[in-house]
Amino acid sequence: MTGMEKNRWPPGDLVIWIFIMAELLVFGVFFAAYAFTRTNHVELFNTYQLTLDRNAALINTVALITSSYFVVRAVAAIRVDDSRRCFHWLLAALAMGLLFLVVKGAEYHHHFSQGINLNTNTFYMFYLSLTFFHFLHVILGMIILLAVALKARSGGYSAAEHTGVETGASYWHMVDLVWMVLFPLVYVMR
Amino acid sequence: MNQKRLFLRPCTWVYVTLMFLTFITWFVGVNNLSGRFFAFMVLGFALLKGQLIGDYFMGLKQVAGLWRWVIFIWLALVGTLISVAFWQTL
Amino acid sequence: MKYQSQKVAKLYFIAAIGLFVGQILFGLIIGAQYIWGDFLFPEIPFNVARMVHTNLLIVWLLFGFMGAAYYLVPEEAETDLVMPWLATLMFWIFLAAGAATILGYLLVPYSSLAELTQNDLLPTMGREFLEQPTITKLGIVVVALAFLANIGLTILKGRKTVINLVLLMGLAGLAVFFLFSFFNPVNIVWDKYYWWWVVHLWVEGVWELILGSILAFILIKTTGVDREVIEKWLYVIIAMTLITGIVGTGHHYYWIGTPEFWQWWGSIFSAMEPIPFFMMTVFAFNMVNKRRRNHPNKAAVLWALGTAVMAFLGAGVWGFLHTLAPVNYYTHGTQITAAHGHMAFYGAYVMINLAIISYAMPLLRGREAANSNKSQVLEMWGFWLMTISIIFITLFLTAAGILQVYLQRFSDSPMPFMVVQEKIELFYVLRELTGLVFLAGLIVYIASSFVGSNEPEATAEGEVVAS
Repeated sequence: MTGMEKNRWPPGDLVIWIFIMAELLVFGVFFAAYAFTRTNHVELFNTYQLTLDRNAALINTVALITSSYFVVRAVAAIRVDDSRRCFHWLLAALAMGLLFLVVKGAEYHHHFSQGINLNTNTFYMFYLSLTFFHFLHVILGMIILLAVALKARSGGYSAAEHTGVETGASYWHMVDLVWMVLFPLVYVMR
Repeated sequence: MNQKRLFLRPCTWVYVTLMFLTFITWFVGVNNLSGRFFAFMVLGFALLKGQLIGDYFMGLKQVAGLWRWVIFIWLALVGTLISVAFWQTL
Repeated sequence: MKYQSQKVAKLYFIAAIGLFVGQILFGLIIGAQYIWGDFLFPEIPFNVARMVHTNLLIVWLLFGFMGAAYYLVPEEAETDLVMPWLATLMFWIFLAAGAATILGYLLVPYSSLAELTQNDLLPTMGREFLEQPTITKLGIVVVALAFLANIGLTILKGRKTVINLVLLMGLAGLAVFFLFSFFNPVNIVWDKYYWWWVVHLWVEGVWELILGSILAFILIKTTGVDREVIEKWLYVIIAMTLITGIVGTGHHYYWIGTPEFWQWWGSIFSAMEPIPFFMMTVFAFNMVNKRRRNHPNKAAVLWALGTAVMAFLGAGVWGFLHTLAPVNYYTHGTQITAAHGHMAFYGAYVMINLAIISYAMPLLRGREAANSNKSQVLEMWGFWLMTISIIFITLFLTAAGILQVYLQRFSDSPMPFMVVQEKIELFYVLRELTGLVFLAGLIVYIASSFVGSNEPEATAEGEVVAS
């Protein structure tokens, strides 16, 4: 991370970046659909937004940011050839991901126990669809991180060759990035 | 790594900033603060956070050319669309 | 050809092309019936001809996929098929059942066919594309199981490559989703709901995996690019296909009695379905640009690149055209759908089959790598004639569709269906003429297999420096 020579390509495999762009496009369309649909149902959206748990969303945002930070440290560790450290940072990141899943799961449990589903109203339709789509991405990101972590533990990466770590990291940061917009948009802006 | 380090790694500074902005957003949320000022403030924070993640976590700051701007372009597009939609209703 | 058992693919490929000819002839018949409504009536009514046209399409594509699997699975797994005799046996059973079914459609009224085949015992007939008598459907299941067992065990025994696993996943999915053709609920909403599990999850789900793996195989063979690079692309393409395609089923669930959220899910996810097709285009051209060598079979490379482009246009762009709920509100079931259907099926599944046939057939017939130059030139003529025809057919149908939507549904004084049909007749005439050009292209394509057999093989021109 010397920052003197600029690279031509982003870190990790270029193919993951094409995938990231595709994913961002889907989320972008979803966000815009939420925002524009809201203009026709402002009162409905404002009313039901109040039923969401902002504290849970705070914990989840903190979890994802922290997790992302840990992944940054994991990449830094492998860049100085420290596989063990890399593995430990990735484990910490995975733990934070797990925390996200647990908190989000508790939120879903709360909503579902009140009989709320996709057909309840347009707000809940968007809330459940958007967050659940993101939820699935957290799971996918964790699977990727787990695969990277296991390979790191067995010494599969080095300072010279660690594209896999950067690839997994880039995807995980994307999952974090999307939540940075989702959190204020769905939970806070009114 | 013979660069000078200001007490903490750059990514750690970014982390602290992200947390700080998150807490403000949460504060706006739990107090149900509404209206253009607060809504666009938290949206602005979100876009800033996104850019920080792109630049420092994803490492795009070290990249030259079009790839340097992929996250920025996405944030700009999404931010614009959300702003247009919310502006009419606030 | 490296393994003796790959040879069974030849039977499947020949049958596929034979049925393809039948499909096109019946296409021309229904095309004519759009212009002269009583053409060949009462011998071959429109509904029967259409059923034969679509069923032949599906059956020949399945023959092609099976042939492709029998060809590429042994080569990828680096071992012979475990049961080559079963592959041959199933070929004849499938062909006989297919032929009997088509003859049944043509020779007896559909209702009599239903009675004759004891449809009452387990009613599955009467649904679009799944018109086959129950007994035929059972036969398809038997053939599919034998086929899956054969290639599954071969893969298990040999080397496990990403291409083989993706192909197996696609083929297994194809068989599993076909089971929903036996599920025929009385409630018409449930009926349609599960009907799409066969139709949509085939062509916009598992078939895309088959397409992706066959394309990847051809690209590995013809470009010499590292397997690793190609597999990475295959991973992201199938991931994106499944993310967008599965939920994209929702674009069939607008206003049919299903919950409203499907309008959102269907619109958003299916609007993203062009992405994996676009990736496939980028992928194919990228790999060909990075090629380590020039392959002498230029026709096969042309088909592979053609697939990537035409699948994106037909399935991606023309699909997107009418996939959003507010648009589909007007365009549903018009000629816009027909335009999309023609280009998507040709661009994605017809072309990938012709691509693998083009690659494999010379090898199966004893060539080292490719047909003679003369044969290839003719084959490429066939490529362009058919491809350009399908583009024009699509454009004419799109024009017809736009007019139809406007006159029949959108204008302030909408006109009745049949009045509109007369007004757009010109486009049907043009479509039919273009269809004749397509048939000419198909004849040229077939002729290419018979010319230049005595001439030497084409050679690769120019050496490419590895990049």
